[in-house]
Amino acid sequence: MILRTAGLSLRLLRLGGRPALTSAGLVGAGIAVGTVLLAVAFGAIHGWGAREDRSGWRTEEPVRAAAAPVALLRTTPDIVAGRAMDRVDLAALQPGLAPPPGLPRVPAPGEVWVSPALAALMRQLPADALAERFPAPAGLIGDSGLRGPDELVAITGRTPDELSGTGTPVAAIGAVGPSGIEIYRQLTYVAAALLVFPVASLLGASARLTAARRAERLATMRLLGASAGQVTVAAVTEVTAIATCAAVIGVVGQWLLAPALAAIPLGGGVWFAGDLQPGPGTVAGIVGGVAVLATFAALGGMRQVVVGPLGVVRRQRAGGARLLRLLGVAAALAIFAAVNGMLRASPVAVVGLVFAVGVLAMFGTVSLIGPLVVRLLGTRMTRSARSPAALLAGRRLLDDPKGAFRPLAGLTLAVFVAGFIAPLTAVLSGADAGDDTALRVAAAPGTVTDLDAAVRERLAQRGIAADVVLADVGGDPGLEVTPVLPADRDRVRTALDPLVPDPVRTAGEADLDGSTLVGDLERGAIVVLAGTFLIAATATGTAAAARVLDHRRTLRLLRLAGTPLDVLDAARRAETLRPLLLVGGIALGLGLLCASPFTAATGALQPSGLVVLGTTVVAGIATVAAAAAASRPLLRSVTTAPAHED
Amino acid sequence: MSAGDGPVLRGVGIMHRFGATTVLRGADMAVHRGEVVAVTGPSGSGKSTLLHCLAGILQPDEGEVWLGAERIDRWSEARRTALRGSRIGFVFQFGQLLPELPAVENVALPLMLGGVRRAAAVEQAASWFGPLGLAGLEGRRPGQLSGGQEQRVAIARALVSAPEVVFADEPTGALDSETGQRLMELLAGLAARTGTGLVVVTHDAEVAARCDRTVTIRDGRTAPVGVAAAPFAGAEA
Repeated sequence: MILRTAGLSLRLLRLGGRPALTSAGLVGAGIAVGTVLLAVAFGAIHGWGAREDRSGWRTEEPVRAAAAPVALLRTTPDIVAGRAMDRVDLAALQPGLAPPPGLPRVPAPGEVWVSPALAALMRQLPADALAERFPAPAGLIGDSGLRGPDELVAITGRTPDELSGTGTPVAAIGAVGPSGIEIYRQLTYVAAALLVFPVASLLGASARLTAARRAERLATMRLLGASAGQVTVAAVTEVTAIATCAAVIGVVGQWLLAPALAAIPLGGGVWFAGDLQPGPGTVAGIVGGVAVLATFAALGGMRQVVVGPLGVVRRQRAGGARLLRLLGVAAALAIFAAVNGMLRASPVAVVGLVFAVGVLAMFGTVSLIGPLVVRLLGTRMTRSARSPAALLAGRRLLDDPKGAFRPLAGLTLAVFVAGFIAPLTAVLSGADAGDDTALRVAAAPGTVTDLDAAVRERLAQRGIAADVVLADVGGDPGLEVTPVLPADRDRVRTALDPLVPDPVRTAGEADLDGSTLVGDLERGAIVVLAGTFLIAATATGTAAAARVLDHRRTLRLLRLAGTPLDVLDAARRAETLRPLLLVGGIALGLGLLCASPFTAATGALQPSGLVVLGTTVVAGIATVAAAAAASRPLLRSVTTAPAHED
Repeated sequence: MSAGDGPVLRGVGIMHRFGATTVLRGADMAVHRGEVVAVTGPSGSGKSTLLHCLAGILQPDEGEVWLGAERIDRWSEARRTALRGSRIGFVFQFGQLLPELPAVENVALPLMLGGVRRAAAVEQAASWFGPLGLAGLEGRRPGQLSGGQEQRVAIARALVSAPEVVFADEPTGALDSETGQRLMELLAGLAARTGTGLVVVTHDAEVAARCDRTVTIRDGRTAPVGVAAAPFAGAEA
């Protein structure tokens, strides 16, 4: 019976003609966009895992063998052409050792394997700037051993004696050690949490888009004797079917977008497209989760319409936003405070997840408080309304604060995200990267004089003009070498390579990981903000269209009875812009509060913070205006539909 | 019937097409002050299209529409919309009230659109509730009213701005016959008292028979049928 009812529902959708397909298309588009962004977040988490699987064995802190080591391993960061490069030295302690990922065999002592990007750079740069550091490479490291296609890495075989004292004994080549990837993974959890609520609000808005049309159809079914259960099945079948199709389109869309997304450098390089494409299990989970969320949203929408046995559709007064929500707000704030307290004590592997809980709690606060604020605003607007448009807007806000907040939820949450990110970007852009002119050369204890002479000799042999001075390098005596021509920096590095085991870098280059992280955070913030606004714009547009479609008969009759389109439009503007400004202000404050564990809210007043906030305000208002403008043709169309359609 | 000197509304030779389909093929119609005219005809004959052309909702492809001494069919969309808000009233079958507004504000809306201040508009709107048997329901929302009550609120809204003509498109279509009968008596009585011309599009032969005059439309052309055998009680008052 359920299947038959579901089949009938789908048949009605198929036979519903252009209006039904248009509505279904709008629902599907909203859900597909939300799914793409969810899949992007899951793809990024998958990507970090894939990178770690391939390269986690050669971190700077490999897993030390408790007993019976099979190899000695040393990874040294180096620099070329301003880019980070890993130099991995590996000495097998046992015969028959399994080769490292990406290599056909364990490199013999003296044998060098380089990544394709490094090989290309070696061909591109003068030999004395790079290639001399890795004479005669034996071959290229395969993709299965690289973080990404542009990674610069060289793996050199060594004898155990060469790595004695500096290499770490490891029990297996594939063991994944702690790496910089972990912090990225944790940040991605936070980013995913920042996207979850806006995506859920988009799904909700989309699933409710066709609520009014479904209600009319369900009324007819009820009149024909369908039970309340059958009516519910029929109602959710349509949304679930559309949501499932849209979710599939969304994951396919993300899959197709993966090559473009892979070009966004994060964690020191770009990605293999396949890394950003989540596995079949995750994809199935995303599609199933979206379908279930949309179904629940449809069921929520159904609660507003009671279809009596005689098929009479009576619009129930929507549930008001009760003050009880304040209890929820208090609980959410308490959760955030607790999370804030736990952050410092949390191990790095879970800090992102812990903070994500705090972010979700703050999102919950925004979602709970939004309808309440809309209700209060509606009361005030209704009392003070002088014009028909203001009265209409105020009454609509008061009549259904949750429904009125729904189109704004995505944008409000986007403002929250901006409030969270603005002070952080200010901190990041103000970070001091350190001196970037003098190359620092560390000397072994008691050898600095000899080193000074050797360095001067090597530079003279190669005709490189540079100032060489004794200096403190990391607390020990050493040298600072400043090439007269900045372009000679890589030549200096290559010249001095045989003299010292440690990398020859400037103070700024030594903090390259830090500055890479800062750059990544800024890029990540832009990606999250852009994603949030994309969701918000879609949700706002979808919800604006849904409201017009839901009330199309009344709007049409009002227009026929002489209500100018401008009045209806002005009412729509007032019922979106005014709540947005008010709730957006609150969300901004909560976003700043959310960033407080990391930086003071006043950071948002720094130029880069103000740029983020200003862009957000402009983008928010533009989004609402665009959504209203986009649905204006729909409003015109439904209010001037030909007479014979009724 | 209490007709004035000349028709308050007059349509002459109205033709209208929807794409390749010609719906009206030269329809004529006139309504006088206080007169109740029924428009009948089979489904698809063009009743609603004629009503929409007369009310300035649609622009006829040919023919003329006059409201008093003004020819309105060539007016701009905005001007015709303003005309409908002030000089023409509407009662539809159902679903015409804004669900968010209390009944009294639904009635006050046309006055506010015409520039009347809110307090005055609401006061004037409330004065219609007693005569229409709606006293005490001013603050109810449409969803809290019965079908008959909703239609009476719609009648108040149609008449509150003292229009010259009211168009009622199947106003009793969603009501039981007794409620529908009472509603029509009320509407006709109010129209007669205020001198408003009333055009009723109806399928109900009983309703049509009690109007001052019936115009039948068939294949896009109008034909007068006759005068009422038993006019509405209110209309005689």
